[in-house]
Amino acid sequence: MRIFFDPEILAAAWPGIRSGIGVTLGLALSSIAAGVALGLVLATVRALIRGAPLRPVGGLIAGYADVFRAMPPLVLLVVLYFAAPFAGIELSGFMAAFVALGLVLGASAEEIFWAGITSVNRGQWEAALSTGLSRGEAFRRVVLPQAVRLTIPPLTNRAIATGKNTALASVVAVPDVLNQAASVQAQTASPAPLLLAAGVYLALFLPLVRIGRWLETRFHIR
Amino acid sequence: MNTVLELRGVGKAFAGVPALRDIHLAVGTSELVALIGPSGSGKSTLLRCCNRLTEPDAGEVVFEGSPVPAGGAELASVRRRMGMVFQAFNLYPHLNALENAALAPRRAAGLSQGEAEGAAREALERVGLGDRTAAMPDELSGGQQQRVAIARALALRPRILLLDEPTSALDPELVGSVLRVIRSLKEDGVAMLIATHEIAFAREAADRIAFLADGEILECGPPEEILDRPKSERLQHFLSRL
Repeated sequence: MRIFFDPEILAAAWPGIRSGIGVTLGLALSSIAAGVALGLVLATVRALIRGAPLRPVGGLIAGYADVFRAMPPLVLLVVLYFAAPFAGIELSGFMAAFVALGLVLGASAEEIFWAGITSVNRGQWEAALSTGLSRGEAFRRVVLPQAVRLTIPPLTNRAIATGKNTALASVVAVPDVLNQAASVQAQTASPAPLLLAAGVYLALFLPLVRIGRWLETRFHIR
Repeated sequence: MNTVLELRGVGKAFAGVPALRDIHLAVGTSELVALIGPSGSGKSTLLRCCNRLTEPDAGEVVFEGSPVPAGGAELASVRRRMGMVFQAFNLYPHLNALENAALAPRRAAGLSQGEAEGAAREALERVGLGDRTAAMPDELSGGQQQRVAIARALALRPRILLLDEPTSALDPELVGSVLRVIRSLKEDGVAMLIATHEIAFAREAADRIAFLADGEILECGPPEEILDRPKSERLQHFLSRL
């Protein structure tokens, strides 16, 4: 038991892990915000484009969503960090993780918003247009608010997954919670820092899971 | 009597199957014209071609002396003055009755929030729902929902209302409340083009009735002429089955 909870090693590991919490939270919040915003913008563009000259744009967006939903975030991350410099793109570990997680979440979020938008009854568009609202206003005031209700539960799940995936950034030397714990573990050969890190992740994300549950009941479609 | 809305040779086909053929029909100021005919005869398509929710293939629709524009802000402006009421109500479920009726006055007609709510409140009072402004659509009966939908169209002070079977989705005991509202609008001089299966209502409220079958207007005239002295076999058959 002492091997897992050695108080001296835990005390030595804590300052690093504590600073890692800030990095983990910063990476999680920024990539979630960027991914959700990216998904919303792309789904909006896809919903509002009309007419032949712009039609390929919708296909491009769908293609992006498919590719980045198929791509494991860890693979994308190491490609961005280790391979992109050969193309002249130098990203810090944090930036590489931010871009990778944002792109992957953006793809899922786009599909989730798109599914929400297309599931709003056509009659809603027609009623709004029949009163002289522009397509943009009809989308913003009538269709999107209804789509977002359907979107909240799956989107919350994807956002939580993205938050957890920030631990991948430890492989590209981002000093997040897991990275800090792993370096103490390497120095001391003790598993205690890793268990502390696991506890920290639970403390960070269990409340988010609970909030997600609450949102799910709150936005349950009647 | 001035003409508000006129269809000149309007035609529409869906995937090669004709839904409307060479429709000529005019609605005058404060006139109520009822469209009757079997399901699938083209009544809805005809109404939807008026405000280009469905794009006609042929002919033209003239509103207040000008062709209905193809798109953009000009079409939106015509749609504001041509209210539409749907069989399935199509109320915005996330907005209350007042917000449903105030949205277009605010966001399409550009009124201030106060003016838009004033217009919406007035329209809701006109359909007898002045006391339900804060109700959400799912808290209202079907008849009340359809009256909110009528108020949503009225709040824009339209020159004509297009009503697509406004009572067909209602329980029988709720039909009367909606028809009463439509009758009172007629007394106020609102022009209306209404697709309906309520033949008794059409007889008593309509100035003229047009009978559609297979996308064509076979007969059009005053109610007693259409309902009591039908000329075509199709209309005689249609009336005998009611």
